[in-house]
Amino acid sequence: MRLEALSRLVRLSLARERKGAFFSAFGVAMGVGALVFFVGLGLGVGRVIREKIFPTDSRLVDVVPPAVSLGSLLGGGKLDAAAVERLAALPGVEATYRKMGIRVPAVTRYDGSFFGARLRMGMEVLAVGVDPGLVRSDVAMGEFKDAGDGQPIPALVSTRLLELYNKTFAPARKLPQLSANMLVGFGFPVEFNRSYVAATAPGPVTAAQAQVVGASDRAMFAGITIPLETAIRLNRASGVDADTFTGVTLVASDPARVPALMEAAKAMGFEIDDQERRLAENAGAAVALTTSALALLSVLICLLAAVNIAHAMSASVRARAREIGVMQAVGASRSDVRNIVLAEAGVVGAFGGAVGTAVALLLALLVDRFASGYLPSFPFKPESFFSFPWPVVVGGVVLGLVAALCGAYFPSRRAAATDPARTLAG
Amino acid sequence: MIRARDVVKEYEDGDGARVRVLDDMSLDVEDGDFVAVVGPSGSGKSTLLHLLGGLDIHYRGDVEVGGVKLSGLGDQALARFRNSHVGFVFQSFHLIPNLSALENVLLPSHFGAGTGDARKRAEALLERVGLKEKKDRAPVRLSGGERQRVAIARALFGGPRLLLCDEPTGNLDAATGAGVIRLFQELHQEGLTVLAVTHEDRMSAAARRVLRLKEGRLVEESSPSAPVASQGAP
Repeated sequence: MRLEALSRLVRLSLARERKGAFFSAFGVAMGVGALVFFVGLGLGVGRVIREKIFPTDSRLVDVVPPAVSLGSLLGGGKLDAAAVERLAALPGVEATYRKMGIRVPAVTRYDGSFFGARLRMGMEVLAVGVDPGLVRSDVAMGEFKDAGDGQPIPALVSTRLLELYNKTFAPARKLPQLSANMLVGFGFPVEFNRSYVAATAPGPVTAAQAQVVGASDRAMFAGITIPLETAIRLNRASGVDADTFTGVTLVASDPARVPALMEAAKAMGFEIDDQERRLAENAGAAVALTTSALALLSVLICLLAAVNIAHAMSASVRARAREIGVMQAVGASRSDVRNIVLAEAGVVGAFGGAVGTAVALLLALLVDRFASGYLPSFPFKPESFFSFPWPVVVGGVVLGLVAALCGAYFPSRRAAATDPARTLAG
Repeated sequence: MIRARDVVKEYEDGDGARVRVLDDMSLDVEDGDFVAVVGPSGSGKSTLLHLLGGLDIHYRGDVEVGGVKLSGLGDQALARFRNSHVGFVFQSFHLIPNLSALENVLLPSHFGAGTGDARKRAEALLERVGLKEKKDRAPVRLSGGERQRVAIARALFGGPRLLLCDEPTGNLDAATGAGVIRLFQELHQEGLTVLAVTHEDRMSAAARRVLRLKEGRLVEESSPSAPVASQGAP
């Protein structure tokens, strides 16, 4: 049977049974629309968690010294230069980036103009020094290296901290909203080995000017990130440990090698700082679970739509038994009859799937518009809560088609089994 | 044209008993003949028609139509046979209500027949049966006689050599039925083989041969212009 002839017969049949076809397509559209909407929502929220709230690089492994261990008491488990070399020599390690926290307290006392507003504030500051290679791509001004005593210290701030500042702190204190670019070049005083609350080291206080050179996902969340050499110099000046590192970030050549690297580092007596990764995984799992539950509900709606189509097609086949017999009398084979019924259902399903998908996309657009216009600003509020990669969009239409074809399977077999001699008798 | 040998057709009734509808039926029909099959209700007339047209394949014996041996043909081959070797005309016309007269005639083209300009051919057939002006009308807007003529045009669409008619004038008044019978006579004169199951005396009178069936057996064969020849009537 030619495709053109099939499409003509299907068109005529659907035109006659417009009402039934509409209700069948509506059921499919409901199920597919709900599924596409919830999957898009899950993917969108997951993307926000992955990219904004807990931005993790699947190739990075953060190795830290053990909190307490017999080895550390005996001199083992120390993250010194030799240990870093051993870690760098592990198979699958592409690069290593050392980190050293400033081991003395530090404070900033700011009193002056802050982007057009008056700011007078004193606060404790945490700082960590990192190898420049880890954050080089995020540095927007000058070089990320230690310029020596008396020179401004290049500092990176966390993009997440900036987001929290913009969405919570700044509105509460009536301070201006800031972008990373605006912050570049901003300077503020820092006094190392001074604290309002904690004990200080025996060494002298080192006063310096920190200058923001960019914002980075890899920067310390609640503090500033400075060049490693600066951290070593400041720790040494304060008379504290300037030889061992507080952490080393390993870059795996392939994400698949990460588990082996973690095991190897643990075998060497170190621990893995995977708090961020776990938080990201937990949040992602919660979103995935919720999305799966809603998607399952949507699939159930699709199943109901398929059952509805099965009922509708069965009734239609019964009502058209004589017509089917006539078609067989003029040359339709059993497979022709089966194909006609399946094609009718396929058109209904694909149409329902396309409409459902389109409605889901439209609804997502409306939700985004509503969120943008009416929801108050909050940290990490995305421009869109949805993500619709093309497999989801195409999958919606395909699901509608498949649901309808499944529903029409048995009715099509029944139609093909019509006995023309019996239906045409009399 | 038709050669049937020792054909037996049985089915099970509601009580599970086997009912023999055709009982060792043998039949020969020459190419270009006009045959009327008569007999009481339940004598197996329509069943015979369905077997000869490839609509019913559950029987024993051999049936050959137009050189095609139907016994053992697969579904696709049988569909092709029905599409191009035979045309059916039914008592209740069996037109598809949501199709126009022209679209009803075109129906066989969807399954392979009329590979040339199908529409032109369908229009020519409607002109042949005198319905060219009403080609776009739905069946419901045609009289009984007109519907039957559309059905005849549809039966002729695939260019069959055999027309199988099941009570073609059964639902028509006398005058309209006479017109349809005349049409069959014309088609017969043009060389078409016509086999019609009928209760209508005028239809039998128009045929060259009349076969009488009783309880699944061919009991009489006659020619309207010749004396009756008995074929082993009980």
